[in-house]
Amino acid sequence: MNHALELAGQAALAAGALLLVVAAAGLHLLPDALSRQHAGTKAVTLALGLICVGAALMSQDTAWTLRLCLLLILLGVTLPISSHMLARAAVREQSLQEVAARAPVIEPDGEPGSRAGDGRDDQRADGGRTRDGSA
Amino acid sequence: MTAPSALPPLLTLLVGCALVAVALAVVRLVRGPTQADRVIAQDVLFAVGVAMCVAAALVTRSTAFLDVALGLAITGFLAGIGWARLIIRAPSDENPPDAPR
Repeated sequence: MNHALELAGQAALAAGALLLVVAAAGLHLLPDALSRQHAGTKAVTLALGLICVGAALMSQDTAWTLRLCLLLILLGVTLPISSHMLARAAVREQSLQEVAARAPVIEPDGEPGSRAGDGRDDQRADGGRTRDGSA
Repeated sequence: MTAPSALPPLLTLLVGCALVAVALAVVRLVRGPTQADRVIAQDVLFAVGVAMCVAAALVTRSTAFLDVALGLAITGFLAGIGWARLIIRAPSDENPPDAPR
């Protein structure tokens, strides 16, 4: 029984370690911040939970198990909050980028020409004007 | 509490996987196109730190590193919340800085 528990703990620890790598790879394989947030919070928390359970089963000691259970509870409580906040931040930055990407398309409709250079030229012209006005 | 000369293979696997995860998360932290990507990478880095603390506790056979892991988990959670709020409440055209929050 004791040996079986330790084997189960070792299996959980190895699974948690491998899942940690999978979650970190998800940061690169997923397309945008909103989907990367799923890998960064849920998968990593599952990996940490497996590692904690594995360590508790391997040690079979009250002091270890108490602390690891506290860690598990803390991870479970903080997961939905941090996941929600990160998802809101990702969605907000995505919408800001969409606004920024839409803005220059509307502007140069009247005059055909270089799209990227327009804003910079305007700024340069404004700077020159204010400098001339102040001089 | 003497430091062992060689890690057991299981803990070597755990530390190696944690180091690979750190490398991937740091690349995302540096390259991340948006600020939210960097906050997510920071969250992963803190989680890997917790995993490393559990590994250190198993190696040294002392519970002190588990207390460190607990503090690291709380710090990582609060840091993630703080940075995410900073991004959510950042002033922009549709969210002017003097608007009521």
